[in-house]
Amino acid sequence: MEPIRNGHATLVDLLDRVLDKGIIIYADLIVSLAGIPLIGVNLRAAIAGMETMLKYGMMTEWDDRVRTWERQRIEARKLLIKHDTEIEEPIAGLLQGKDK
Amino acid sequence: MQNRETIETIINNMVMAPEEGRYVYCIADSAQSVHLGKIGIDGNEVYTVPYNNICALVHKCNAEPYKSDDPEVVKAWVISHDRVIQTAWEKWGNVLPINFDTIIKEVSANSAEQNLVAWLAGEYEGLRNVLQRVKNKVEFGIQISWDPRGVAQQIMRTNKEIQKMESEIAGKSKGLAYMHRQKIEGLLKQQMETGADAYFRDFFGRIKQVVDEIKIEKTKKPENGLQMILNVACLVERDKSQDLGQALDSINNLENFSVRFIGPWPPYSFVSRG
Repeated sequence: MEPIRNGHATLVDLLDRVLDKGIIIYADLIVSLAGIPLIGVNLRAAIAGMETMLKYGMMTEWDDRVRTWERQRIEARKLLIKHDTEIEEPIAGLLQGKDK
Repeated sequence: MQNRETIETIINNMVMAPEEGRYVYCIADSAQSVHLGKIGIDGNEVYTVPYNNICALVHKCNAEPYKSDDPEVVKAWVISHDRVIQTAWEKWGNVLPINFDTIIKEVSANSAEQNLVAWLAGEYEGLRNVLQRVKNKVEFGIQISWDPRGVAQQIMRTNKEIQKMESEIAGKSKGLAYMHRQKIEGLLKQQMETGADAYFRDFFGRIKQVVDEIKIEKTKKPENGLQMILNVACLVERDKSQDLGQALDSINNLENFSVRFIGPWPPYSFVSRG
Protein backbone atom coordinates (compact mmCIF):
# COMPACT_ATOMS: atom_id res chain seq x y z
CA MET A 1 0.00 0.00 0.00
CA GLU A 2 0.97 3.63 -0.51
CA PRO A 3 1.38 6.07 2.40
CA ILE A 4 -0.88 9.12 2.60
CA ARG A 5 0.11 12.62 3.70
CA ASN A 6 -2.90 14.72 2.96
CA GLY A 7 -3.29 18.00 4.82
CA HIS A 8 -6.64 17.35 6.45
CA ALA A 9 -6.64 13.57 6.80
CA THR A 10 -3.31 13.55 8.61
CA LEU A 11 -3.62 16.84 10.52
CA VAL A 12 -4.01 15.18 13.92
CA ASP A 13 -0.94 13.03 13.23
CA LEU A 14 0.98 16.18 12.35
CA LEU A 15 -0.18 17.93 15.54
CA ASP A 16 0.99 14.94 17.59
CA ARG A 17 4.39 15.27 16.04
CA VAL A 18 4.87 19.03 16.11
CA LEU A 19 3.55 19.44 19.67
CA ASP A 20 5.05 16.33 21.30
CA LYS A 21 8.10 15.44 19.25
CA GLY A 22 11.20 17.11 17.94
CA ILE A 23 14.24 18.13 19.90
CA ILE A 24 13.39 19.58 23.29
CA ILE A 25 16.03 21.98 24.50
CA TYR A 26 16.60 22.13 28.22
CA ALA A 27 18.63 25.22 29.01
CA ASP A 28 18.21 28.54 30.77
CA LEU A 29 18.43 30.32 27.45
CA ILE A 30 15.00 28.98 26.51
CA VAL A 31 11.86 31.01 27.14
CA SER A 32 9.90 29.26 29.87
CA LEU A 33 7.17 27.13 28.41
CA ALA A 34 5.08 26.65 31.51
CA GLY A 35 1.80 27.24 29.68
CA ILE A 36 2.57 25.23 26.60
CA PRO A 37 1.34 21.73 27.34
CA LEU A 38 -2.03 23.38 27.90
CA ILE A 39 -2.01 24.57 24.31
CA GLY A 40 -1.60 21.02 23.18
CA VAL A 41 -4.43 19.83 25.38
CA ASN A 42 -6.69 22.72 24.30
CA LEU A 43 -6.08 21.99 20.71
CA ARG A 44 -6.63 18.28 20.98
CA ALA A 45 -9.77 18.83 22.98
CA ALA A 46 -11.21 21.02 20.24
CA ILE A 47 -10.35 18.51 17.59
CA ALA A 48 -11.89 15.67 19.51
CA GLY A 49 -14.98 17.80 20.10
CA MET A 50 -14.53 17.95 23.85
CA GLU A 51 -14.70 21.70 24.32
CA THR A 52 -17.47 21.26 26.84
CA MET A 53 -15.33 19.13 29.10
CA LEU A 54 -12.60 21.70 28.92
CA LYS A 55 -15.04 24.50 29.68
CA TYR A 56 -16.07 22.81 32.90
CA GLY A 57 -12.49 22.10 33.89
CA MET A 58 -12.85 18.38 33.47
CA MET A 59 -10.00 18.18 31.07
CA THR A 60 -7.16 18.26 33.57
CA GLU A 61 -8.34 15.21 35.42
CA TRP A 62 -9.27 13.44 32.23
CA ASP A 63 -5.91 14.21 30.72
CA ASP A 64 -4.01 12.94 33.78
CA ARG A 65 -6.03 9.76 33.82
CA VAL A 66 -5.53 9.12 30.12
CA ARG A 67 -1.85 9.82 30.35
CA THR A 68 -1.39 7.49 33.32
CA TRP A 69 -3.37 4.75 31.65
CA GLU A 70 -1.45 5.13 28.41
CA ARG A 71 1.86 5.13 30.21
CA GLN A 72 1.01 1.86 31.92
CA ARG A 73 -0.18 0.43 28.66
CA ILE A 74 3.00 1.43 26.83
CA GLU A 75 5.11 -0.04 29.65
CA ALA A 76 3.17 -3.28 29.36
CA ARG A 77 3.71 -3.33 25.61
CA LYS A 78 7.41 -2.73 26.10
CA LEU A 79 7.65 -5.70 28.44
CA LEU A 80 5.93 -7.85 25.84
CA ILE A 81 8.65 -7.33 23.29
CA LYS A 82 11.61 -6.46 25.46
CA HIS A 83 13.33 -9.77 24.95
CA ASP A 84 13.98 -9.26 21.26
CA THR A 85 14.25 -5.56 20.68
CA GLU A 86 15.59 -2.27 21.88
CA ILE A 87 12.74 0.23 21.76
CA GLU A 88 14.56 3.42 22.35
CA GLU A 89 18.05 4.32 21.51
CA PRO A 90 19.52 6.84 23.89
CA ILE A 91 21.29 9.58 22.04
CA ALA A 92 23.26 12.59 23.20
CA GLY A 93 22.38 13.71 26.71
CA LEU A 94 21.13 17.07 25.54
CA LEU A 95 18.23 15.61 23.63
CA GLN A 96 15.86 14.58 26.31
CA GLY A 97 12.27 13.47 26.29
CA LYS A 98 9.63 15.63 27.85
CA ASP A 99 7.97 12.95 29.95
CA LYS A 100 10.94 11.19 31.44
CA MET B 1 11.27 67.86 37.01
CA GLN B 2 11.94 67.22 33.35
CA ASN B 3 15.02 65.28 34.25
CA ARG B 4 13.01 63.05 36.51
CA GLU B 5 10.51 62.33 33.73
CA THR B 6 13.32 61.43 31.37
CA ILE B 7 14.73 58.99 33.87
CA GLU B 8 11.30 57.46 34.34
CA THR B 9 10.86 57.11 30.60
CA ILE B 10 14.19 55.37 30.31
CA ILE B 11 13.42 53.03 33.18
CA ASN B 12 9.96 52.31 31.79
CA ASN B 13 11.41 51.49 28.40
CA MET B 14 13.93 49.20 30.01
CA VAL B 15 11.24 47.40 31.95
CA MET B 16 8.56 47.41 29.29
CA ALA B 17 10.58 46.79 26.15
CA PRO B 18 10.13 43.12 25.29
CA GLU B 19 13.32 41.11 25.17
CA GLU B 20 14.22 39.79 21.77
CA GLY B 21 14.10 36.10 21.00
CA ARG B 22 14.60 33.62 18.18
CA TYR B 23 11.91 31.04 17.45
CA VAL B 24 13.76 27.90 16.31
CA TYR B 25 12.10 25.51 13.83
CA CYS B 26 14.79 22.96 13.10
CA ILE B 27 18.46 22.23 12.56
CA ALA B 28 19.51 21.62 8.95
CA ASP B 29 22.54 19.94 7.44
CA SER B 30 23.81 23.05 5.67
CA ALA B 31 26.33 25.84 6.20
CA GLN B 32 24.29 28.28 4.11
CA SER B 33 23.29 31.67 5.44
CA VAL B 34 20.06 32.40 3.57
CA HIS B 35 16.63 33.95 3.89
CA LEU B 36 13.74 31.65 2.99
CA GLY B 37 11.01 34.29 2.84
CA LYS B 38 7.97 35.03 4.96
CA ILE B 39 7.02 31.38 5.43
CA GLY B 40 7.12 31.31 9.24
CA ILE B 41 4.53 31.51 11.98
CA ASP B 42 2.27 34.56 11.44
CA GLY B 43 4.14 35.27 8.19
CA ASN B 44 7.48 35.91 9.86
CA GLU B 45 10.63 35.98 7.74
CA VAL B 46 12.58 32.74 8.20
CA TYR B 47 16.34 32.66 7.85
CA THR B 48 19.27 30.43 8.79
CA VAL B 49 21.78 30.95 11.58
CA PRO B 50 24.81 28.85 10.60
CA TYR B 51 27.47 27.33 12.81
CA ASN B 52 30.23 25.27 11.23
CA ASN B 53 28.41 23.07 8.66
CA ILE B 54 24.99 23.08 10.30
CA CYS B 55 22.38 25.80 10.71
CA ALA B 56 19.25 26.62 12.67
CA LEU B 57 16.12 27.95 10.96
CA VAL B 58 14.64 30.83 12.93
CA HIS B 59 12.47 33.89 12.93
CA LYS B 60 12.84 37.03 15.07
CA CYS B 61 10.29 37.36 17.84
CA ASN B 62 9.77 38.59 21.35
CA ALA B 63 11.04 36.35 24.12
CA GLU B 64 7.53 35.20 24.97
CA PRO B 65 5.93 31.86 24.18
CA TYR B 66 3.19 31.74 21.56
CA LYS B 67 -0.05 31.22 23.43
CA SER B 68 -3.66 31.23 22.38
CA ASP B 69 -6.98 29.90 23.58
CA ASP B 70 -8.19 29.67 20.01
CA PRO B 71 -7.48 26.18 18.63
CA GLU B 72 -7.70 27.48 15.06
CA VAL B 73 -4.88 29.94 15.78
CA VAL B 74 -2.68 27.26 17.32
CA LYS B 75 -3.51 24.91 14.48
CA ALA B 76 -2.31 27.52 11.98
CA TRP B 77 0.92 27.98 13.98
CA VAL B 78 1.57 24.26 14.03
CA ILE B 79 1.00 24.00 10.28
CA SER B 80 3.42 26.90 9.70
CA HIS B 81 5.97 25.27 12.00
CA ASP B 82 5.78 22.10 9.91
CA ARG B 83 5.85 24.00 6.61
CA VAL B 84 9.18 25.61 7.50
CA ILE B 85 10.62 22.22 8.44
CA GLN B 86 9.28 20.65 5.21
CA THR B 87 10.81 23.50 3.20
CA ALA B 88 14.22 22.96 4.80
CA TRP B 89 13.84 19.20 4.37
CA GLU B 90 13.19 19.57 0.64
CA LYS B 91 16.02 22.06 0.25
CA TRP B 92 18.74 20.29 2.22
CA GLY B 93 17.47 16.72 2.58
CA ASN B 94 18.39 16.30 6.22
CA VAL B 95 16.82 18.15 9.16
CA LEU B 96 16.24 17.74 12.90
CA PRO B 97 12.82 19.13 13.83
CA ILE B 98 12.65 21.13 17.06
CA ASN B 99 9.65 21.02 19.39
CA PHE B 100 6.93 23.61 18.84
CA ASP B 101 7.35 26.97 20.62
CA THR B 102 11.06 26.71 21.36
CA ILE B 103 12.33 30.27 21.74
CA ILE B 104 15.89 31.25 22.58
CA LYS B 105 16.17 34.45 24.59
CA GLU B 106 18.85 36.99 25.37
CA VAL B 107 20.64 36.37 28.65
CA SER B 108 22.54 39.22 30.34
CA ALA B 109 24.95 40.61 27.75
CA ASN B 110 24.37 37.95 25.11
CA SER B 111 21.82 38.43 22.35
CA ALA B 112 19.38 35.65 21.49
CA GLU B 113 21.30 34.93 18.32
CA GLN B 114 24.62 34.73 20.17
CA ASN B 115 23.03 32.28 22.60
CA LEU B 116 21.72 30.21 19.71
CA VAL B 117 25.16 30.03 18.09
CA ALA B 118 26.69 29.13 21.47
CA TRP B 119 24.10 26.37 21.89
CA LEU B 120 24.82 25.03 18.38
CA ALA B 121 28.54 25.07 19.17
CA GLY B 122 28.09 23.34 22.52
CA GLU B 123 25.83 20.61 21.13
CA TYR B 124 27.52 20.34 17.74
CA GLU B 125 28.83 16.78 18.13
CA GLY B 126 25.51 15.45 19.38
CA LEU B 127 23.54 17.18 16.64
CA ARG B 128 25.94 15.90 13.96
CA ASN B 129 25.52 12.35 15.28
CA VAL B 130 21.75 12.55 15.08
CA LEU B 131 21.92 14.09 11.60
CA GLN B 132 24.11 11.16 10.55
CA ARG B 133 21.65 8.66 12.06
CA VAL B 134 18.61 10.03 10.24
CA LYS B 135 20.37 10.81 6.97
CA ASN B 136 18.40 9.71 3.86
CA LYS B 137 15.64 8.43 6.12
CA VAL B 138 11.99 9.36 6.40
CA GLU B 139 9.38 8.84 9.07
CA PHE B 140 6.11 6.97 8.61
CA GLY B 141 3.23 6.43 10.98
CA ILE B 142 1.48 3.06 11.07
CA GLN B 143 -1.78 2.43 12.88
CA ILE B 144 -3.40 -0.99 12.87
CA SER B 145 -6.98 -1.41 14.02
CA TRP B 146 -9.32 -4.34 14.24
CA ASP B 147 -13.07 -4.66 14.14
CA PRO B 148 -13.84 -6.01 17.64
CA ARG B 149 -17.26 -7.36 16.53
CA GLY B 150 -15.79 -9.31 13.66
CA VAL B 151 -12.99 -10.66 15.83
CA ALA B 152 -15.43 -11.67 18.57
CA GLN B 153 -17.61 -13.52 16.06
CA GLN B 154 -14.58 -15.31 14.72
CA ILE B 155 -13.56 -16.42 18.21
CA MET B 156 -17.11 -17.56 18.98
CA ARG B 157 -17.04 -19.62 15.80
CA THR B 158 -13.64 -21.19 16.26
CA ASN B 159 -12.92 -21.45 19.98
CA LYS B 160 -13.59 -25.03 21.13
CA GLU B 161 -14.12 -24.18 24.78
CA ILE B 162 -16.63 -21.44 23.99
CA GLN B 163 -18.48 -23.71 21.56
CA LYS B 164 -18.70 -26.44 24.16
CA MET B 165 -20.08 -23.99 26.72
CA GLU B 166 -22.58 -22.66 24.17
CA SER B 167 -23.88 -26.14 23.52
CA GLU B 168 -24.35 -26.70 27.25
CA ILE B 169 -26.67 -23.70 27.62
CA ALA B 170 -29.60 -25.58 26.13
CA GLY B 171 -31.54 -27.41 28.82
CA LYS B 172 -30.33 -25.15 31.63
CA SER B 173 -32.69 -23.11 33.76
CA LYS B 174 -32.97 -19.38 33.00
CA GLY B 175 -30.76 -18.39 35.94
CA LEU B 176 -28.06 -20.94 35.21
CA ALA B 177 -28.10 -20.08 31.52
CA TYR B 178 -27.52 -16.43 32.43
CA MET B 179 -24.52 -17.32 34.58
CA HIS B 180 -23.23 -19.54 31.84
CA ARG B 181 -23.46 -16.70 29.35
CA GLN B 182 -21.55 -14.46 31.76
CA LYS B 183 -18.80 -17.07 31.83
CA ILE B 184 -18.69 -17.23 28.04
CA GLU B 185 -18.47 -13.45 27.90
CA GLY B 186 -15.57 -13.46 30.34
CA LEU B 187 -13.78 -16.09 28.32
CA LEU B 188 -14.36 -14.17 25.11
CA LYS B 189 -12.99 -10.99 26.65
CA GLN B 190 -9.92 -12.84 27.83
CA GLN B 191 -9.43 -14.42 24.40
CA MET B 192 -9.65 -11.02 22.76
CA GLU B 193 -7.08 -9.50 25.10
CA THR B 194 -4.68 -12.38 24.50
CA GLY B 195 -5.38 -12.04 20.79
CA ALA B 196 -4.66 -8.31 20.76
CA ASP B 197 -1.29 -8.91 22.43
CA ALA B 198 -0.42 -11.76 20.08
CA TYR B 199 -1.36 -9.73 16.99
CA PHE B 200 0.55 -6.74 18.33
CA ARG B 201 3.68 -8.89 18.66
CA ASP B 202 3.21 -10.45 15.24
CA PHE B 203 2.65 -7.14 13.42
CA PHE B 204 5.38 -5.35 15.36
CA GLY B 205 7.82 -8.10 14.35
CA ARG B 206 6.83 -7.93 10.68
CA ILE B 207 7.18 -4.15 10.55
CA LYS B 208 10.45 -4.14 12.47
CA GLN B 209 12.04 -6.35 9.84
CA VAL B 210 11.62 -3.77 7.09
CA VAL B 211 12.44 -0.52 8.95
CA ASP B 212 15.56 0.97 10.51
CA GLU B 213 14.00 2.18 13.74
CA ILE B 214 10.61 1.74 15.33
CA LYS B 215 8.91 3.52 18.20
CA ILE B 216 5.71 2.55 20.00
CA GLU B 217 3.13 5.33 20.33
CA LYS B 218 -0.06 5.65 22.35
CA THR B 219 -3.01 3.95 20.73
CA LYS B 220 -5.93 6.26 19.92
CA LYS B 221 -9.48 5.89 21.09
CA PRO B 222 -11.83 3.79 18.92
CA GLU B 223 -13.12 5.40 15.74
CA ASN B 224 -15.92 4.17 13.47
CA GLY B 225 -16.22 1.09 15.65
CA LEU B 226 -12.60 0.14 15.01
CA GLN B 227 -10.20 -0.39 17.88
CA MET B 228 -6.54 0.50 17.47
CA ILE B 229 -4.21 -2.27 18.60
CA LEU B 230 -0.91 -0.89 17.32
CA ASN B 231 0.42 2.61 16.76
CA VAL B 232 4.06 3.03 15.80
CA ALA B 233 6.40 5.53 14.19
CA CYS B 234 9.08 4.11 11.88
CA LEU B 235 12.26 5.46 10.39
CA VAL B 236 12.96 4.04 6.94
CA GLU B 237 15.49 4.67 4.21
CA ARG B 238 13.91 6.93 1.65
CA ASP B 239 13.99 4.37 -1.17
CA LYS B 240 12.94 1.36 0.91
CA SER B 241 9.42 2.44 1.78
CA GLN B 242 8.00 0.00 -0.80
CA ASP B 243 9.09 -2.99 1.30
CA LEU B 244 7.18 -1.51 4.19
CA GLY B 245 4.12 -0.94 1.98
CA GLN B 246 4.20 -4.61 0.97
CA ALA B 247 4.51 -5.83 4.55
CA LEU B 248 1.52 -3.68 5.45
CA ASP B 249 -0.50 -5.01 2.51
CA SER B 250 -0.28 -8.50 3.97
CA ILE B 251 -1.73 -7.20 7.26
CA ASN B 252 -4.35 -4.99 5.61
CA ASN B 253 -5.62 -8.03 3.69
CA LEU B 254 -6.37 -9.97 6.88
CA GLU B 255 -10.04 -10.28 7.75
CA ASN B 256 -11.19 -7.74 10.39
CA PHE B 257 -7.93 -5.72 10.26
CA SER B 258 -7.22 -2.37 8.68
CA VAL B 259 -3.96 -0.47 8.35
CA ARG B 260 -3.42 3.28 8.22
CA PHE B 261 -0.10 4.13 6.56
CA ILE B 262 0.87 7.81 6.80
CA GLY B 263 3.86 9.94 5.86
CA PRO B 264 6.55 10.52 4.78
CA TRP B 265 7.58 13.12 7.31
CA PRO B 266 10.90 14.51 8.51
CA PRO B 267 12.16 12.41 11.45
CA TYR B 268 10.02 14.14 14.09
CA SER B 269 9.82 11.08 16.35
CA PHE B 270 13.46 10.08 16.08
CA VAL B 271 15.41 13.06 17.27
CA SER B 272 14.70 12.90 21.00
CA ARG B 273 14.30 10.30 23.65
CA GLY B 274 10.91 9.76 25.14
